[in-house]
Amino acid sequence: MIRNNRIDGGLIDRTKSLKFTFNGTEMGGHAGDTLASALLANGQRLVGRSFKYHRPRGIFSAGSEEPNAMVQLRHGAWQEPNTRATMAELFDGLHATSQNHRGSLEKDFLAINDRLSNFLTAGFYYKTFMWPKSFWEKVYEPIIRASAGLGRLSGEPDPDTYDKGFLHCDVLVIGSGPAGLMAALTAGRAGARVILADEDHLLGGRLNSDMQEVAEQAAADWAAATVAELVDMGNVRVMPRTTVHGVFDHGIYGLLERKTDHLASSGGKPRQVHWRVYAKRAILCAGATERPIAFANNDRPGIMLAGAVRSYANRYAVATGKHLAIFTNNDSGWQAASDLSAKGIAITAVIDTREITPPATIKGAALVMGGRIRDTAGRKSLTSITLTNGLTLPVDCLAVSGGWSPNVHLTCHLGNRPVWDDEIAGFIPGKSLPSGMSVAGAADGDMTLSAALKSGVAEGKAAIQDLGLPPAKTKAPDSNDEHFAVTPFWQVATPKRAWVDLQNDVTTKDIKQAQREGFQAVEHLKRYTTLGMATDQGKTSNVLGLAIMAEASDKTIPETGTTVFRPPFTPVTLGAFAGSARGKNFRPTRRPPSHNWATEKGAQFVETGLWLRAQWYPRSGETKWRESVDREVRKTRASVGICDVSTLGKIDVQGRDAATFLNKVYANGFAKLAVGRVRYGIMLREDGFCYDDGTTARLSENHFVMTTTTANAGLVYQRLEFARQCLWPDLDVHLISVTDGWAQYAVAGPNSRKLLQKIVDEDHDISDEAFPFMACGAVSVCGGKPARLFRISFSGERAYEIAVPTRFGDALVRVLMAAGEEFGITPYGTEALGVMRIEKGHAAGNELNGQTTALNLGMGGMVSKNKDSIGSTLSSRPGMQGEDTLQLVGLRPVKPADKLSAGAHFLDVGAAAKLENDLGWMTSVAYSPTMGHYIGLGFVKYGHIRQGEVIRAWDGVRGTDIEVEITSPHFYDPDGGLQRG
Amino acid sequence: MADYKLYGTSALGGYNADFEGATLKEVTGLGIVSVSAPLDGKPALTAAVKSAYGCALPKPALSVLSKDKSARLVSTQPDQFFILFDHAKPDAANHVAGLLGDAGYYTDQSDNWLTLALSGRLARSALERICPVDLGPEIFNVNASARTVMHHLGTLILRTGEDDYLLLSARSSALSFLHVVKTSVENVS
Repeated sequence: MIRNNRIDGGLIDRTKSLKFTFNGTEMGGHAGDTLASALLANGQRLVGRSFKYHRPRGIFSAGSEEPNAMVQLRHGAWQEPNTRATMAELFDGLHATSQNHRGSLEKDFLAINDRLSNFLTAGFYYKTFMWPKSFWEKVYEPIIRASAGLGRLSGEPDPDTYDKGFLHCDVLVIGSGPAGLMAALTAGRAGARVILADEDHLLGGRLNSDMQEVAEQAAADWAAATVAELVDMGNVRVMPRTTVHGVFDHGIYGLLERKTDHLASSGGKPRQVHWRVYAKRAILCAGATERPIAFANNDRPGIMLAGAVRSYANRYAVATGKHLAIFTNNDSGWQAASDLSAKGIAITAVIDTREITPPATIKGAALVMGGRIRDTAGRKSLTSITLTNGLTLPVDCLAVSGGWSPNVHLTCHLGNRPVWDDEIAGFIPGKSLPSGMSVAGAADGDMTLSAALKSGVAEGKAAIQDLGLPPAKTKAPDSNDEHFAVTPFWQVATPKRAWVDLQNDVTTKDIKQAQREGFQAVEHLKRYTTLGMATDQGKTSNVLGLAIMAEASDKTIPETGTTVFRPPFTPVTLGAFAGSARGKNFRPTRRPPSHNWATEKGAQFVETGLWLRAQWYPRSGETKWRESVDREVRKTRASVGICDVSTLGKIDVQGRDAATFLNKVYANGFAKLAVGRVRYGIMLREDGFCYDDGTTARLSENHFVMTTTTANAGLVYQRLEFARQCLWPDLDVHLISVTDGWAQYAVAGPNSRKLLQKIVDEDHDISDEAFPFMACGAVSVCGGKPARLFRISFSGERAYEIAVPTRFGDALVRVLMAAGEEFGITPYGTEALGVMRIEKGHAAGNELNGQTTALNLGMGGMVSKNKDSIGSTLSSRPGMQGEDTLQLVGLRPVKPADKLSAGAHFLDVGAAAKLENDLGWMTSVAYSPTMGHYIGLGFVKYGHIRQGEVIRAWDGVRGTDIEVEITSPHFYDPDGGLQRG
Repeated sequence: MADYKLYGTSALGGYNADFEGATLKEVTGLGIVSVSAPLDGKPALTAAVKSAYGCALPKPALSVLSKDKSARLVSTQPDQFFILFDHAKPDAANHVAGLLGDAGYYTDQSDNWLTLALSGRLARSALERICPVDLGPEIFNVNASARTVMHHLGTLILRTGEDDYLLLSARSSALSFLHVVKTSVENVS
């Protein structure tokens, strides 16, 4: 039945009525409501089921600490589970459903668990489900998994978008209660760049729930006026609906801003923005969280935190019951009683655990000092409470206050441990705060309104002074203050279950059991009982659980310890961490200059790092990739083929000492490379292993252009810069990447020169005599366009690489294809490129894997002994020069029809497949259309003296065992006559 | 020889779009030349720049306009700066070398970069979603520059006016970079 529990006052906008549904029932609310306040206004007490026992649960708090009221919001793919009803702003058309029940919310079949509670105590899953062993995977685990969790995901991709961003400020103020507003005001008026962030949509914190006055105004009015002043300052950024969820090194804070969660639709804009904030100083003004007292059956709908009951009445104009009782161990319970009574809500009793003179008189209420609650009644809604003195009181709402815990969470994210403060019976921040952070207000133990206002000013001034800004003149406004006194009282002893952690169904029994079974350390307690886990991370339960463990262990709370708080403070949607980096936009894509043309030609593409390269170009009638690749290889070797090799790293090297520099970074000599010539080089790491290879061309006396492998372009550049800046700063050498600046095509095959002669301007002689193998130089093409020509070969054919400024890259590939038509030109992709380099025996990434030396690669002779270069000394270590060292060899199947596989290990014929018999491994294989069978490259021990021998290529993964003959790695044109022309 | 011609294409074909509060367009025909000062050659280069462009070398994290405002010199790293100027021909380095002589080492960077101009009252809001640099108007002043990373892509950002920015990023990833910037503009507009 829907009831209207609205009362007068509050900060809701009664002129804006909103409709929403809960479990299909239409209800009404107002702008300014949360889903929780609207549900309470409509008399909906039962909102969910507990995690383990499926006990009926109601709304417990009015903030982000809520452990009970988890609901699913929205429809279809937008459905989001585990949303705290206390944080969900009401909007017109909001669709909410309860979660964690089988059957209806009212009749949950799994409520049977409540009757099995004796079997579901702390650590039950560590003790049960152990027998029979075979049941674990097939029976127990599926059942547990089906029962676990609270809400349900939609199972569809998240249709919302998210964003990320970066903000910078002098002072980040976290929380907009009295301390936060004063801190922001103080820093803002002094001219500091301030960010004020609060998780609530309405800034003001406790001021919006207080009936006190600040500066002779209602607290909420003063808060609104102060926020307005801050918003008007150009140097203050006010961020409502923004949770500071984590503190990270170097003054970096993680903020989640909920942009459109309060709207029916995000309208195509990001739903949430995850900000990385760089703050010179931060002032934590996160307030404090009220905690409950443990007593029998203290989890019924209608039993709530006293501060929340007060907040619903004062801020949301909702009476959470018709007949309320207060159960408290501190003065704030009396403040709630006074406020509620003033609102005309009947207070049946105030039960204070303290044996003191009642701090106030509450009209019509029984005042029970030194009182205890023995039990409660009401399955789906509280109906009565029974005191230990035997008195039973018919109440429908019980407001409980067990004291307040400062919200120290963010002070702990970098390892600071909070310390116990007896005066407030709570943990306050320890002294090792994150660098640049200070704490003000209730978060620092300043529990009264005036103390919070003053500490906000003080910390604001301290931050300003620290930043070297002019002193601020801001003073804390006057306020009427409340009393704050607490006498710790944690639990009413009972043989029944008394809840500590409502979200995880952890009771005092569980904690005592953990203590008995040896799980007394706080971290063990957490894991054994699940205390403080899940979405609320024990905001209302941690201190209470710790206190009960301390009592059970006969220790003080400081002796017992505290848990470590880690980010995030409250749950963060995974989508917000991803931002817009989803799907194909997860990382950038680099496209070579011929990409558009290749797309037009129907090329198949392959991702090589960030690059998208043409893998092969299928022709009509070709149904298998090998047909295309074999054709491309054959036609290139028969006439001419072109391949976009722009992806290779290109580094411009200039300076008077450029040659000297190159001579130091390459293992082989470069000092005497003549102008107009190219040389192949290998680079070693300091440990003597090869890490990259490529060619470098000398364009003029002081000007070189280096190529690197595609994969290592960035790494080589980085290492060269290190060498230039740190190892040899006295050399005049300058580097800059030109990878993206030049479109470069390999033109390979016997007709390559004839093709190039059609486009290279006639005043450039590229005859073999004028432009021999390993020549290079600037030329012009197509009537004066600048180009560079290199006569180098990766395929083993007569070949060139021609480069033009990238703007001409698309045009050049089309020109080459048109000009090559008479030769039957073919474009070839990375597959054919790979086949031809294996046929030629050129090492590539599979061989240059960072674990191989020049000697392994058959290039030991290239490591010059006549100079010092990076890695040359350590490459001559005895262990790297042994006779048994691995040698790059070629492999061909003894039976030509056999298919080779990369990754196969080599064994002698007849040897068992054991590690001690391992001779090496196959690095690269390809079907060679030139040879007519598979060929491979690989490393074999003593490979250089075993050529002609037969060994086995054993592949345990693919289950093959093939006899192969060791050959030279140079299957094609081993003498190099073709490429030299 | 057949009459083969090479036409030039820009990275994004001259992308140009207006959004509410911002405009985003590809800057084409821009010559970009890196100039490196030889070891111990900074005084000579400074004098050559003063003579040719009428301005001093740009200080770190800043750019400076030539006296006739036809070129912008941008600090990029110690002893290196870029010169940006309208120059559609593929010989920008030669052009600069002709002005500065042998006072520096020159590399044509015109084809290495995609250049986007982002302008408008929401430009800064769009950038703060993708740019880690502090773009506070009093921090990142007009003519400020920074080398940074946006969405994993190396970027050179310049503030050229009150609400005007130039963003230079690698040409090969131009479409990805455009997606990043455009999405950010759309998100805030």
